Amino acid sequence: MPQTNRLRLAAVITAYKRLLHGQHIVDRLLDGYGWAGKFHHPQMEVVSLYVDQRGEGDLTQERADRHPTMKIYPTIAETLTLGKSKLAVDGVVVVGEHGTYPYTDTGIMKHPHYEFFEQVVKVYRDSGRSVPYFNDKELSYRWDWSKNMVDTSHELGFPLQGGSSLAVTWRIPSVEFPLGATAREAISIGYGGMGSYDFHGLETLQCMVERRKGGETGVEWLQTYRGEDFWKAYEQGVWSQALVKAALTRSSTLAPGSPTFTDVFPTIEQMRALVPDPVAYNYQHRDGLHSTMLLMNGLVRDFTFAATIEGQAKPFSTQMYLPMPDGRTTLASFFSPLVWNAEQMFLTGKGQYPIERTLLTSGLLIAGVDSAHQGYQRLQTPNLAAVHYQPNPESTFWRS
Amino acid sequence: MLTRRRFVGYSALSSAMLAYRPLLREAWAQTPAHRPLQLAILCSVYRQGSQMQTLGDRFLVGYPYEGDWRTPEVQVVSVYVDQLVRQVEAAPSPYQLAMTGAKIAPSSSARGIAGGLGKDRAVGALPSAEKAEPAADLSKARSQQFGFRVCSNIPEALRCGGNKIAVDAVLSIVEQDDYPSNDRGQILLPNYDFFQQCAQVFEDEGRGVPYFNHKQLSFSFPQAKTMVETAQRLRFPLLAGSSMPVTWRLPEVDVPLGAEVEEAVMVGVGAPDGMDYDALEALQCMMERRKGGETGVKAVQLLEGDDVWAAQNAGRWSKDLLSSALSRTDTPQGLTVLDGRTQDLVASGVLPQLVKNPMAYCLEYNDGARATLLMLDGAITDYNISVKVAGHDLVSTQFFMPPAPNNLYSACLASKIEQLFQTQHPAYPVERALLTSGVLEGCLQSRHKLNQRLETPQLAVSYQPPSESQYTRT
Repeated sequence: MPQTNRLRLAAVITAYKRLLHGQHIVDRLLDGYGWAGKFHHPQMEVVSLYVDQRGEGDLTQERADRHPTMKIYPTIAETLTLGKSKLAVDGVVVVGEHGTYPYTDTGIMKHPHYEFFEQVVKVYRDSGRSVPYFNDKELSYRWDWSKNMVDTSHELGFPLQGGSSLAVTWRIPSVEFPLGATAREAISIGYGGMGSYDFHGLETLQCMVERRKGGETGVEWLQTYRGEDFWKAYEQGVWSQALVKAALTRSSTLAPGSPTFTDVFPTIEQMRALVPDPVAYNYQHRDGLHSTMLLMNGLVRDFTFAATIEGQAKPFSTQMYLPMPDGRTTLASFFSPLVWNAEQMFLTGKGQYPIERTLLTSGLLIAGVDSAHQGYQRLQTPNLAAVHYQPNPESTFWRS
Repeated sequence: MLTRRRFVGYSALSSAMLAYRPLLREAWAQTPAHRPLQLAILCSVYRQGSQMQTLGDRFLVGYPYEGDWRTPEVQVVSVYVDQLVRQVEAAPSPYQLAMTGAKIAPSSSARGIAGGLGKDRAVGALPSAEKAEPAADLSKARSQQFGFRVCSNIPEALRCGGNKIAVDAVLSIVEQDDYPSNDRGQILLPNYDFFQQCAQVFEDEGRGVPYFNHKQLSFSFPQAKTMVETAQRLRFPLLAGSSMPVTWRLPEVDVPLGAEVEEAVMVGVGAPDGMDYDALEALQCMMERRKGGETGVKAVQLLEGDDVWAAQNAGRWSKDLLSSALSRTDTPQGLTVLDGRTQDLVASGVLPQLVKNPMAYCLEYNDGARATLLMLDGAITDYNISVKVAGHDLVSTQFFMPPAPNNLYSACLASKIEQLFQTQHPAYPVERALLTSGVLEGCLQSRHKLNQRLETPQLAVSYQPPSESQYTRT
């Protein structure tokens, strides 16, 4: 039986199918998960659920049958009001990832983060009351909407927390970017495509470099490189080869460049052969930090980070480890720290890390895709130059 | 006894070196500053995906270490591949071939040892002729690429064709190829044989070099004990073990040094005499840190089937510790595979359905501590532990075994091996592997004796753990 003092959550998700973000996140709230050496049951109840797209493989009914306290509603408003007139929950969990939605002209899928947000906020406004809001992954595929989401959360005074699990998952080794350190250059290396996994690469970078001296100062410009231009830029040192090497030595999925070998550091020629379509978002922060997000499909299947930090003799580097249920694991355990941090926000009413991180990374993703769409030009980004914030001095990644 | 293999070896007809001398000179010329450590590797097989390939290759092409690609100051100068020699021995002699009317294969078709083994042994294509490509021997290709000598016997590998020890260190990587098993299901791996041949050379010449033995010392505790005693007598550093104790942990935790450990439960997967050694050694590297250090194991028992669950009910091993260890898994099977859901495998009571043939390796230590390795095939595919420490929360973690192709756990081990070779000091005592080898043998004996509890007075192995944790975290 649900206890009355437990927080009540509404979940608003695109789809509830095997291995989709909605399944990973809502399942953890319903069924619990391994955490800090125990099987942890969140001290909160998902009482209502909205699923935007159902169809083949849909798990909604199975989950509702096993968790009868969770009711399914046909609209977002009813999910928040539990079919009545006013907001009736203590927190909202929104997953805008996956599903089938149209694409923008630049090729980004129009995931309905903002569309969901608008409907949730309407209930907040109509009820004269706001509750903490968890938004999985990026804010919106449109910059003005992303900005609006953050501004609205400040205006109405509710915590809005989101982003990628890359920022909170295990690190191998388990190290944190030293708070207040001066960084000259940083890179992340990942895999996946533009408009999807680039967001994870950007969050990998941003959750680290935001801890540098002065905090985040915003981004002045961005340029995307792809294909042959990528390799030219790489060879010319547009981003540091030493940092690429440092990051790749943290990968545990480095494709062998030579047949019969299973772990050997590739030459540039071997990398070229392995990676037919490399992508780089190269960008400059206002305080002079130079960052580059690399997607190297074919070379790696994980996310790594490296940075040049003043006073450290060699590059600072780590892997943001994703136990990936693509055959390597069965459980996408990196959702556990994401949900844990969401729970902490619901329990304390405070965001565990600044939403401006996600605002900046959402904007960088749009700028990266725009640069490619506009002939791989360097784009000035005055909107991103205005995003400055201080990090949470406490580390929020998975260590226990 | 002078076996045919030994005779073949000692006759030292092989001359792989001659063919690759120019390459070797080139390799030397590249490192004029100071001479890298000269390494002999002794292995069972050298094919893609073998332990020799994943671990041994690291001394040829380097490995990731502390955020850099480390090129060890090591030059592999000789390699002995047991499989090639055994295949040649197994092949019919020219006389037998003539008697049966079979054609003698031209010597150029002989696979395997670079440069051939001499005329009499080059005949008769090796039996692996019809084997699929992935199983192909790599020693010849690697020898050509890296300029080491492929040797037809172990003394030759140590002497590199001369009459004196010409290497600074020995790495032995014995793994299952097609070695026979005994009636207890133990694979008769020739670790002891490899070691003894080296020790003989060391003794003859009055000089030993550091020796690393991958995984268990021997299937036989008396043999394992002899290995450790021989190394002590001849005063050369010996280390043995698997990667699991030194790989990354999720999270990075260890049993506090000197803590009062009451009980540990480790969970893993694998058939008897497979990954159980690795899991037992990982368990041991946590247990040895308890108050007073290691005192040895007084009894072991291997339980199977329903007896495993009954033992939990009887308080033989702790359900709380199992639950805690399983909270670290990323690989629950069953419903998680079906629809991605998380599962509390213990509270849900689903384990007996998932695990058709559970096994429990129960260890009773001389100081009263208890430990159990549960092999739960069907429930998970990773290795996790939880330890009950007096006055402390449960200490639980996953021994992270990064997947193929990179198998980065072996890079963690490579750095310990290199450390042994360079400093002549093992990072942790060889007694850990000695005790673990004996525990495994004891457990397999228990299984053979219808799962009886066996007293193990011979396993009164005491030692102190290293003061600093040796798992990888940088």
